[in-house]
Amino acid sequence: MTTKVSAAINIPQFFQHLVDGVKVTKTGGRTVGECLDELIERFPQLEAHLFSGDGKLHGYLDVFINGKSAYPEELSKPVADGDELHIINIIVGG
Amino acid sequence: MAINSGKFLRVNLSTGQTMTESVPHQVAIDFIGGRGYGIKYLYQELDANVDPLGEDNKLIILNGPLAGTSTQATSRWMVITKSPLTGGFARSVGGADFGAWLKFVGYEFIIIEGKADRPVYLHLSREGCQIHDAGDLWGKDTKETQKTLKDEHGGNTRMVCIGPAGEKLVRYAAIVSDRRTAGRCGTGAVMGSKNLKAIAATAARTLELFDETAYAQLSKQQATLIMENKGFQNHREWGTTRTQNITNSLGIYPVLNFRYGQQVGHEKITGEEYRRLRTGEFGCYSCPARCGKAHRVETGSYSGAYSEGPEYETIWAFTGSVDSTSIEATVAADELCDDLGLDTISAGACIGFAYELYEKGILTKADTDGLELKYGNHAAMVTLVKKIALREGIGDLLAEGTMRAAASIGKGSEVCAIHVKGLELPAYEPRGSKTQGFNYATASIGASHCFGYSGQDVFGAVVPRPSDRFAEEENADLVIYNQNGTAWKETGINCTFSAGWGWVDSLFGKLLTAARGIDQFSDNDYLWKVGERILNLERAFNVREGFGRKEDTLPQRMLTEPLHTREAPGEGQIVRNQDKFLDNYYWLRGWTEAGFPSPEKLKELGLDFVLNDMNVEQ
Repeated sequence: MTTKVSAAINIPQFFQHLVDGVKVTKTGGRTVGECLDELIERFPQLEAHLFSGDGKLHGYLDVFINGKSAYPEELSKPVADGDELHIINIIVGG
Repeated sequence: MAINSGKFLRVNLSTGQTMTESVPHQVAIDFIGGRGYGIKYLYQELDANVDPLGEDNKLIILNGPLAGTSTQATSRWMVITKSPLTGGFARSVGGADFGAWLKFVGYEFIIIEGKADRPVYLHLSREGCQIHDAGDLWGKDTKETQKTLKDEHGGNTRMVCIGPAGEKLVRYAAIVSDRRTAGRCGTGAVMGSKNLKAIAATAARTLELFDETAYAQLSKQQATLIMENKGFQNHREWGTTRTQNITNSLGIYPVLNFRYGQQVGHEKITGEEYRRLRTGEFGCYSCPARCGKAHRVETGSYSGAYSEGPEYETIWAFTGSVDSTSIEATVAADELCDDLGLDTISAGACIGFAYELYEKGILTKADTDGLELKYGNHAAMVTLVKKIALREGIGDLLAEGTMRAAASIGKGSEVCAIHVKGLELPAYEPRGSKTQGFNYATASIGASHCFGYSGQDVFGAVVPRPSDRFAEEENADLVIYNQNGTAWKETGINCTFSAGWGWVDSLFGKLLTAARGIDQFSDNDYLWKVGERILNLERAFNVREGFGRKEDTLPQRMLTEPLHTREAPGEGQIVRNQDKFLDNYYWLRGWTEAGFPSPEKLKELGLDFVLNDMNVEQ
């Protein structure tokens, strides 16, 4: 049996209109993928905004753990107790 | 080998004299290069209060210490001068190959002084600089000009030039290289005021680096980091052609001259829609991103239009400004701006300004040469682009920029002039992205997103910390972080997009050391200090020109009129506490309440030579 962790996902401002303004939510996922699955369970409308049809995180999104990119492991990247996750848009300016 | 601080060329167009000079080592240590060199030389060589379009203004065109090398995204070129739009400091950045070619002919920058008595162009080679008659080129667009000069001087030639807009002193004329432009601040008008049509450089690849072996190793590391970076991969795929998807969802895509933050029919102008028109890609010297996405229109009234763009800002300039969803019209307008040599941002903003005045009855058909400037009328928009560039009819008025046009029109039109210090706002609504907005308010060049881009507000960036995009004075530290960080990265001169590709913090300083032979550059804390030094000297330039706190303001609309976002968060937002923001920003910068760099701060940064010029009432 594996133990769940307690981490926090910070929901970016560009998604907050989809989640009733929730800014941070707790998660017990042990990987980035599990954390995002939990997030979608709570806010199903986020799924299409997070994932492309092939189940991968959209090419323009990245997840940062404690300020560092989870790429290239991305969804399989382990999450530890107390970690802070941020979803960011990796488009750079315009 | 000795420190490699670089050489520059001085050209006096009044006398025809040219001279090669070396940059003193201490200047290299203090300012690194690129933007740092630009403000150092502009500050020390320009007297206060010169006419930006007069003989006494100087035009400085620079590359950086990494230009022309094997590193990626470090060969941008930059123009530093006094702006004819703002009357203050101007910095504008361009792409393509010219930055590298300027290095290949042996220079890190050119200082152009005086005014030629007839149209001329400069031809640079390893043998020196020649001034040629440009009578036959005057009046030609940028495409024809570049083709003619390439035919004349050979395929190993790259150049910068102006189009008819620069010749006619449109205050937001651009300088163009290939199809990339230094668009902002009216640098093309300064070049036109000197009767200088083009600068062409012909050379084979040659470089002088302090430590070539170390540089090559670092360059390989950079390539690996970039290719593995997800941000880079996304940028290679899309460029900035889908940024509007994000900004529209945030309610910060300016529509109807900055009254709304979302566009009705936005699904027609998404990145995916532009993807349908894409025909190719192009890029800058030694950059694998090739983020320029070319588009061609095959059907309809704009059939045949072809543009190596538009990118995000231009997409906005020719959609949101006039509430049009014709992506075909944006391709046509972008092509015209590049051909005629216009800044797309200010051009679109000036046209959006005119449309609002027409809606309000302040302008009528009698003023617009019969054009019906109703929102959604993209055909009139394309016509206006030409009129502005050629200063025809109402185009002559709009060619002055919104600040001067409003002063001329009166009748309450001033509230519709959306600018900071005279430079029109770009495509991010300040009331919904206030860190970005206060960057506009305090930027020494006026409203430029690239002066200190807030990735925190727009994309959720977490470095140095996440932002609340509706917070105001609480985010002064982020504005400073973004502005100082941009300044030191533009000593490279690095592409601003590459800041997100995972190499800058670990390698940029080491590359500078390998290129110049100056050890301090490998210390990131030192780079941040140089960024602050550059920002303070640019600020001092403006203070010497009479700028202060009252010029650090967003347009009245942002301070008094609630934003309408339609469906996004932020409905009803205004900028409530600009004064509190400025108090905090100045305090954190070590400036006085009037917005002047304090003597203590100037001394701390080694800018003692500025002190005497700051003897204004503080």
